[in-house]
Amino acid sequence: MIGESWVTTTVDKLEEWGRNNSFWPLPFGTACCAIEFMSVVSSHYDMARFGYEVVRFSPRQSDVMIVAGTITDKMAPTLKRIYDQMPDPKWVVSMGACACSGGFYRAYHVMQGIDEIVPVDVYVPGCPPTPEGLMYGILQLKEKIKRDSKRRLKEKRAHGDDSGSAAA
Amino acid sequence: MPTATIPAPPLLDSLPEGSVEVVEGLDQPTWIVRRDALAQVARQLRDDPETQFDLLLDLCGVDYPDRDERFEAVYHLYSLPRAARLRLKVPVLEDDPVLPSLIDVWTAADWFEREAWDMFGLRFEGHPNLRRILTHEAFQGHPLRKDYDPARRWILTEDKIYKPNPQPTGSESVDDMFERMTINIGPSHPAMHGTFRVVATLDGEVIVASEVEIGYLHRCFEKMAETHTWQQVIPYTDRLNYCSSFINNVAYCRTVEKLMGIEAPPRAVWAQMILSEFSRIMDHCVCNGSTLVDTGALTNFWYMFQPREEIYGLLEACCGARLTVSACRIGGLLEDLPPDFEARCRHLLETVPEFIDDVDKVVTKNRIWLDRSVGVAAISAEEAVDHGWTGPCLRASGVDYDVRRAYPYDLYGEVDFEVPVFQGGDVFDRYRMRMEEIHQSLSIIRQLLDRGMPDGPYIVDDPHVALPPKEDAYNQMEAMIYHFKLIMDGIQVPPGELYHMVEGANGELGFYVISDGSGKPYRIKVRPPCFPIMASFSHLMQGGTISDAIATLGGLNIIAGELER
Amino acid sequence: MPHSDTPEPYRYTLAERLYLPLLGGMWVTLRHFVGNLLGRRTSYTIEYPEERRAYSHRFRGHHILTSRPDGSLRCVACFLCATACPAECIHIEAGEHPDVNVEKYPVVYDIDMLRCVFCGYCVDACPEEAIIMSNNYDMAFFNRASSVVTKEELQKPFTYDQARLGYRPRYPEEEEQRARARRELQAGRVDLVGEARRRQEAAAAGPESSKSAAASS
Repeated sequence: MIGESWVTTTVDKLEEWGRNNSFWPLPFGTACCAIEFMSVVSSHYDMARFGYEVVRFSPRQSDVMIVAGTITDKMAPTLKRIYDQMPDPKWVVSMGACACSGGFYRAYHVMQGIDEIVPVDVYVPGCPPTPEGLMYGILQLKEKIKRDSKRRLKEKRAHGDDSGSAAA
Repeated sequence: MPTATIPAPPLLDSLPEGSVEVVEGLDQPTWIVRRDALAQVARQLRDDPETQFDLLLDLCGVDYPDRDERFEAVYHLYSLPRAARLRLKVPVLEDDPVLPSLIDVWTAADWFEREAWDMFGLRFEGHPNLRRILTHEAFQGHPLRKDYDPARRWILTEDKIYKPNPQPTGSESVDDMFERMTINIGPSHPAMHGTFRVVATLDGEVIVASEVEIGYLHRCFEKMAETHTWQQVIPYTDRLNYCSSFINNVAYCRTVEKLMGIEAPPRAVWAQMILSEFSRIMDHCVCNGSTLVDTGALTNFWYMFQPREEIYGLLEACCGARLTVSACRIGGLLEDLPPDFEARCRHLLETVPEFIDDVDKVVTKNRIWLDRSVGVAAISAEEAVDHGWTGPCLRASGVDYDVRRAYPYDLYGEVDFEVPVFQGGDVFDRYRMRMEEIHQSLSIIRQLLDRGMPDGPYIVDDPHVALPPKEDAYNQMEAMIYHFKLIMDGIQVPPGELYHMVEGANGELGFYVISDGSGKPYRIKVRPPCFPIMASFSHLMQGGTISDAIATLGGLNIIAGELER
Repeated sequence: MPHSDTPEPYRYTLAERLYLPLLGGMWVTLRHFVGNLLGRRTSYTIEYPEERRAYSHRFRGHHILTSRPDGSLRCVACFLCATACPAECIHIEAGEHPDVNVEKYPVVYDIDMLRCVFCGYCVDACPEEAIIMSNNYDMAFFNRASSVVTKEELQKPFTYDQARLGYRPRYPEEEEQRARARRELQAGRVDLVGEARRRQEAAAAGPESSKSAAASS
């Protein structure tokens, strides 16, 4: 017999599959890393092979923010605002040393890592990371989302069983 | 290198006694000017037919806490008709750091003065808009003063963000047929290249007033340079103009080498020239590619980005990184050239033009692109000079000034190349200029390769400058000691100050360095070529539409890392 | 003022007025499109992660701490790398080594990978060839804590094999190649342009060889 939980978990799986294979990245590119990000979307590396080519500059239409470049204190409120404007579920990839930790700019105007204001899912080191490095990071994010959704599914299933038994 | 001519004495005679003191600088004549006489001196220097200093290259502050007159404003001038250089130094007191504003003399002074205010707290009387420019609104203090802690940060909250509301000034009759509207573009907007903010007031579709806000990528290069050794500054210079970081490396190393009185060996110079020209090609590819993509010609972005990937291959083989190369050292190169260097270069010479030609065929004569670019944001030669422009943008306006030609450094005097000049001064001519320069750069590289790679060392053989060969450092006591000393204390640069420039990808890239003899730079000021260009962006937008503004910004090749340092 | 105050914009030719050059542009894009579709022209895309761009042996990637034959670290905790590092991302704590000839060894040797800018200054500074770099760029971390790699991880990087070494002070194989190239060049035996052309032709010949050539060039 097909229960309610079977339907919802299948829908969840489908949703996860779709989500994983079509990130819509929002490139928050400011500096050197943005140039390497451009390399990732141009023909030599071509992120479209993973289904991630729909680069959206509007936060409302994207689900992965790729912060590429130094974030200064002046930029920080903008970054926060754009992150807040993104609809859930959303992820953040921090690309390069500056975005991850401030890099070698231990300076009066540079944010020491964007995790001061937004949660980061994947940190990609490098200054700037090679395009492969960024792609590796994004693929790691994909794995992470898979893992998370599996865990969620498991919890849901357990929860569904509980509620079923309680009803019986 | 032709040295600047000393300006004629009559000019000095006409000034009040003691207002100008002439000193001979290491590189160019220097005048120490009392601040009361500054406005008069500046105006005369510009207008006197004997001097004609029409280009204000740079203005920066320097802080000497030990002196009676603590601050010094340093102006670098250039005379295009006479090919002369002059440095003006104006000392001011800490209690009264006030100078006359020179906006009336050189429009280029506008943003430079704001920067000096922001960084040092020098007040320029008569400046219409003396606000902070690089740091944010909540910032306290002046970070480049020596007593400012390099790591002291201030947090900007959203309620403090500056909200400009530009209004048309003067008597320009603006017909109020349409409703006025103020729109904000950026800082996170794809056409603003991530880091600029433009607030424009529109009358219908036409921009009647605008304000440009920068500083979103101010990474404190100059402060960081003061806290690191001379050698450690090189990775920071990479990140100034990150589209052509190699040129930055070369410019910085040349400046320090000049100050130390050493010369890089011929093999290093030869390789640095080739790689600089390749970097210039990359920079132009990025600029034209992104201009075209901003105006909707996406295909060209891909055509333009492929040669870059190929050139990255060469750079990576030389130094191990694609973009931020850190490939130069003071006195030469990081490593010897790879064995297949020449073959790789030859290969690139054959493959790069294919892509450029493709783009040429697709857009250069394409009327859709012509309509978007011809006559858009046109600037005359006179205005461009007044705004302090250099490089391809200035040459597109019809002024024949190229550092490689005017001051043939390295081997530029020995290779044959043209300096293309166009007269339109618009987006199209700036685009055409870059396409033409790519071909010139290829020709320079070809000639250099034909000359053959010079034999010999790739870095000076001086244990006080270059690290000894690893083999020696492992096995010989003396080399080991030099090695330790160089790493622990850094290179010892003799006291002095110097301005040296190379032709960067978007104009004269100058480094003004001051050494006090300690192991660290006392002050490094970059003369960023795109800073004055960006300062005139508001002027260029005037009277155009937003779509014109987007096309203009792409064509100016503003690189935020260099603009805001 | 000696400079002109009126710009003279470009004048359209008749053909441009008539939009004729558009046809040429369309021919270019069509040629690329059909060429790529039929696979006659080489595609520039590399299929990461299955296929990788061939980086040189100078690539500055993940660091490696080298070991002596007995398995202990070569590092003598002299702090030169930490001093030379512009990002100050190397943290060393020195300890007394039981062997008096060695004197010191690092009790703690951490590199904060997220601070590191991969400039290679640590490799230049090392007087013992104790720190070198690998060709490995596949790095990603899920949190800041895991990004600080310890000496054990640096000693046994997951890609430690000869083929994937990166920036390091000596390149004996390159020295040899360079000497050979110079000899051949002097003897007039090598034709660089012809070689480049041959490589290009080889690239056009087959998709297998083409990809590697495109990646290496």
